[in-house]
Amino acid sequence: MSAGDESKQERGACGVCLRRSWLLSALGGPLDYCARDRSRLLELLALSDEQLLAAVAGRRKAELEAAYARFDAAELEREAREQTICRHRRGYPHALHGRSSPHMLTVRGGAGRLAKLTAAPAVAILGSAVPSDYGRETARSLARGLAASGVTVVTALSDGIAAAAQAGALEAGAGSIAVLSGGLDVSCPPRRRPLYERIGRDGCLVSELPLDCAGRRWGQRASERIIVELAPVSVIVEAEQTPRGMAAASTARELGRPVAAIPGRVTSALSRGTNALLMDGASLVRGPRDVLELLFELSGARPKAGPTEAVAAGAVRPTRLRPTLERVLERVSAGYDTPDKLTRAGVDVRQVLPALTELELAGLLSRGDGGRYLPREPLD
Amino acid sequence: MLARAHAFTIDGLHTRHVSVEVDVRPGLPGFTIVGLADAAVREARERITAAILNSGYEFPARRITANLAPGDVRKAGSGLDLALACAVLAAAGQLPAAELERIALFGELALDGTVRAPRGALAVAHAAQRAGMHALALAPTCAHEARLIDGLQVSPVTSLKSAVRVLSGGAGDEPTATGARARSRTVHESAGAAAAAGDLSEVRGQHHAVKAIVIAAAGAHNALLSGPPGTGKTMLAQRVASILPPLSSAEAVEVTRIHSLIGERVDALARARPFRAPHHSITAAGLVGGASQGSVGEVVLAHNGVLFLDELSEFSRATLEALRQPLEDGRVAIVRARHSAVYPTRFMMLAATNPCPCGFAGDGDHCRCSGADMTRHRRRLSGPLLDRIDLLATLERDTNGDLRTPALMSSAQAGEQVRSARERQAARLAGEGVTLNAHMDVRMLQRHVRLDERSQEMLRAASRRGLLSARGEHRVLRVARTIADLDDSARVRQCDLGAALALRPEPSLAGNRVA
Repeated sequence: MSAGDESKQERGACGVCLRRSWLLSALGGPLDYCARDRSRLLELLALSDEQLLAAVAGRRKAELEAAYARFDAAELEREAREQTICRHRRGYPHALHGRSSPHMLTVRGGAGRLAKLTAAPAVAILGSAVPSDYGRETARSLARGLAASGVTVVTALSDGIAAAAQAGALEAGAGSIAVLSGGLDVSCPPRRRPLYERIGRDGCLVSELPLDCAGRRWGQRASERIIVELAPVSVIVEAEQTPRGMAAASTARELGRPVAAIPGRVTSALSRGTNALLMDGASLVRGPRDVLELLFELSGARPKAGPTEAVAAGAVRPTRLRPTLERVLERVSAGYDTPDKLTRAGVDVRQVLPALTELELAGLLSRGDGGRYLPREPLD
Repeated sequence: MLARAHAFTIDGLHTRHVSVEVDVRPGLPGFTIVGLADAAVREARERITAAILNSGYEFPARRITANLAPGDVRKAGSGLDLALACAVLAAAGQLPAAELERIALFGELALDGTVRAPRGALAVAHAAQRAGMHALALAPTCAHEARLIDGLQVSPVTSLKSAVRVLSGGAGDEPTATGARARSRTVHESAGAAAAAGDLSEVRGQHHAVKAIVIAAAGAHNALLSGPPGTGKTMLAQRVASILPPLSSAEAVEVTRIHSLIGERVDALARARPFRAPHHSITAAGLVGGASQGSVGEVVLAHNGVLFLDELSEFSRATLEALRQPLEDGRVAIVRARHSAVYPTRFMMLAATNPCPCGFAGDGDHCRCSGADMTRHRRRLSGPLLDRIDLLATLERDTNGDLRTPALMSSAQAGEQVRSARERQAARLAGEGVTLNAHMDVRMLQRHVRLDERSQEMLRAASRRGLLSARGEHRVLRVARTIADLDDSARVRQCDLGAALALRPEPSLAGNRVA
């Protein structure tokens, strides 16, 4: 990075954009109310500051307008760790120049790194906050495979699919982007702290709100739009067929971003949303390779590594498995996923546990809930 | 005149020798007891006075001083009555003093002179035998308890009169087998209840969990049973008692002594291992002891046996924290303002829990627990306790008509496997001071668990993948040793290690899974 770039980034976001960010946090309450209608929220976020004040400030309009006029960016304390960057600066993600895009971002991990991560092809991975272990493991291995082939994984920092995808990207040793629903300082739940710190080291955490703005419902929906906008493709891993479950997919559709989905069992409520998306024409994704091909089709962008190498990089599959292990792995993939079921499916009692351990150590199986084992990679 | 008698007082699980000295001299009539006596002993004055008079003896109308030596030991309970009364009679010249030196006395007096049985007869007999006493005179209702100790003559005495007869060289009374004593803690499952808990052959299916439990029983490993409600966690845990080998004779005396001291009725030396299953509302004091002077906790009562904690996540955090020392050291030191005591607590811990608050995690998509719910659940389980759990047995909901599948084995078969595996362990560990794999320390592990090259590579791979901590590695090695013992293998093979690794508690239970 040249010295000129550095000084430019040192300047951070411009005062106008900082004021926008402040205004959004000041209007948290009314926006929360409006957020119940998602497309209305997108409309509101596309308004200019004055229009926004007129639209939602209500009784507090005069008071907020006065504060808005008095706003002085210099009063904001600038933390050393978090940088800000706005649409008027070089290095702001190109993808965020839409109508309802955020005007600025607070970045943990460095604006330079954000520019680098967004310059690479990106994929958003979204889904339920209460997924099944199948969904969790699929999101994880998908993110791992994509990150290993040089794709930037973009998602939230919430429970479930998002956290699993973040963990997968970290496993591949790549940086990912986490979009938070509130200020970076306050909206990370304690149980996500370790993940937060690790993403801060290797990737970027971003938010359009000031550091100390508490996360609200509207912030969550607004952050979904940033996630979807940052990536040319959004993959939904598991979602229920409820307005909440389908929110990410509809946001993507409204913003004109293609949606892909991972198929699930037809008997599982958690796969009902994704299966419905597939019926409606979303691209079907079985693993990292399908996503890479989709990216290639869409943009002509060639990822760093070819799809085959990418998958190989995600899993360290030993050259050849012993026939016993091969058989056990096959049975587990077919749903005989506990020691007892494997025994019933004809695997020798004495071999079950050692075989499961060997497969786990080879990175081909992982433990799910309730003593079940899950395959970590989709079938070729 | 001066007279001396021998008695014993109970302090927690320890019995202390007390020499009762009584001095009768001219002066204003009065009866003083000195020597750190508690309320029950000080009240003895009234009982003794009445008992002596009602038995037809003369209570000396002189100045009586009784000293309980050693003076710095707190004396508690009513067991000193008989010794005090006899010493008073001897000091007053109504009884030859010679036999008082050889016969220990233990009993509480009724106002009419009848001798009653305080708790702890077995422990007192044990202590009397070790103190070199020739005989022990005590109430006939607990004579059979004292007779469990070899090398001590037991003379049952129904009343103060009989005691005087015994001390004058006469014979004792007949012991009574009946005469149930009302005690606050008799509601406990007695040691024999374990046998009635059911047979392993009643557990249909769940072969994986049954095998894990047999491994745990064979090496006395601490195990956690996890599974959705209604899959038989409790049922399986209760049957562990039926596959453990009976107590050895030394262990039997230890266990019986403990049970005698808390006032349980003891008819014979315990044979079956204790199985304690406290409710999850138990307090820390109830679990480790120390609620009042000398009260012992469940961990002590489970000594040489099993402590079963059902619904582990419902126990209060403080209670589970208190288990740390007993699990780690095999003993618990209770220190209070007025007393301190060390109790043995070498037990095998079994715990059962649901995999998540609603209990259905991993069971289709029934589970609706949020990430925060799961974190809370895991946090309750995590920490000191999970650190001590050697293996995890997962039970699954039977979807394939498991109830019709045959049982893996009967208690008799499993018991035989456990017994021979324990014999192998004892033979190998002879001279190490322990007899079970679970109690091996790191040095012993290095000596007795030698891995071949492939197994070492496997262990390294597990650490590399973050599946094992250093402490976890030791746990896995102990379990692997037991699996090899069950298979009668002199070496720990790769398949033993593989199985032990598959049975290790999930790191996710300890709350360090990222996603």
